[in-house]
Amino acid sequence: MALGPRRDFEDVQPGEQLPRLIKGPFTSPHLMRWSAAMENWHKIHYDKPFAIEHDKLPGLLVNGSLKQQYVVQLLKDWAGTAGWVWKVNFQFRAMNLLGETLAVWGKVAELRRATHYGLVDIELGIVNDKGIESTPGKATVALPYRGGPAVPYPFVPPAA
Amino acid sequence: MGILPEAAKAYIGRQSEEEVACDLVEAGQVRRYAQAIQDEDPMFGAPCAANQRFGGPVAPPLYPTHMFRRPLGAADPIQDRATDPDFDGLAATTGQTLPEIEPLRKFALLNGGSEIEFFRYARHGETVVMRSRYTDIYERETSKGPIIFVIIEGEYRTAAGEVLCRTRRTILRR
Repeated sequence: MALGPRRDFEDVQPGEQLPRLIKGPFTSPHLMRWSAAMENWHKIHYDKPFAIEHDKLPGLLVNGSLKQQYVVQLLKDWAGTAGWVWKVNFQFRAMNLLGETLAVWGKVAELRRATHYGLVDIELGIVNDKGIESTPGKATVALPYRGGPAVPYPFVPPAA
Repeated sequence: MGILPEAAKAYIGRQSEEEVACDLVEAGQVRRYAQAIQDEDPMFGAPCAANQRFGGPVAPPLYPTHMFRRPLGAADPIQDRATDPDFDGLAATTGQTLPEIEPLRKFALLNGGSEIEFFRYARHGETVVMRSRYTDIYERETSKGPIIFVIIEGEYRTAAGEVLCRTRRTILRR
């Protein structure tokens, strides 16, 4: 994936859906590759007997730290070459297990105008192939005004 | 009767030293990271039009939060706890000097979520520093029984002091 084209604040409408980002189906190499990349050896992601017998989990879990990357990727790509993902929050409310396919979604909730750029509040989440939501959250993305400069970088938050 | 040991609350307010990531933002590690998160964005590789705005090749947005690994010569929990049947394999990955909450050592750990504020990407070749602290530790009754919530705030900067991102993580212990 990559940054999308420039997206201006005026191009966005409340209720607009962001293009879904699909990941999976997850296999043990996916999880081991992530564990190795971040040097996190938490057994619940690769040691099935430990996950089930010791931690009483239903199976090997897709890392929350990996799912959060997908949320940020969705927003980053949507913000485009002149925007900026300012804030994001999410809760891991349900587990996702090996074998699942995940869809990361986002929906524009509200538009706000600041002095130098516009702010887009987004509702988001991750659903599995059974439609179960695991990662509800919200984000705020800054987008340039049409004909104006890119959002300042490094990002400068609007005055409170 | 709750499950939160009273002694655990003494950790509220404790913070890490200012830590310097043991490695620079390095192209090979950024590549492995980008491949692992399945986001092979060209701006994470060589100089290109997409990363010109950011001053050259950069790391993925959350990369700085995963840079605080065990430096050479530091204690090795994987070896030190090799015969501990309760060791879950989890070594510090978000900071080496934020003390482990000893009264919660035998509680399982799950990631409960995060709030993150981004200001800038880390560029290849930069050094990243961070500081984190326990801002709250409390227990709440849930549909799955009592769970302990541990809140950790962190700030990640470049060596020159520019803020990359701020985080507020919720860790669940049960």
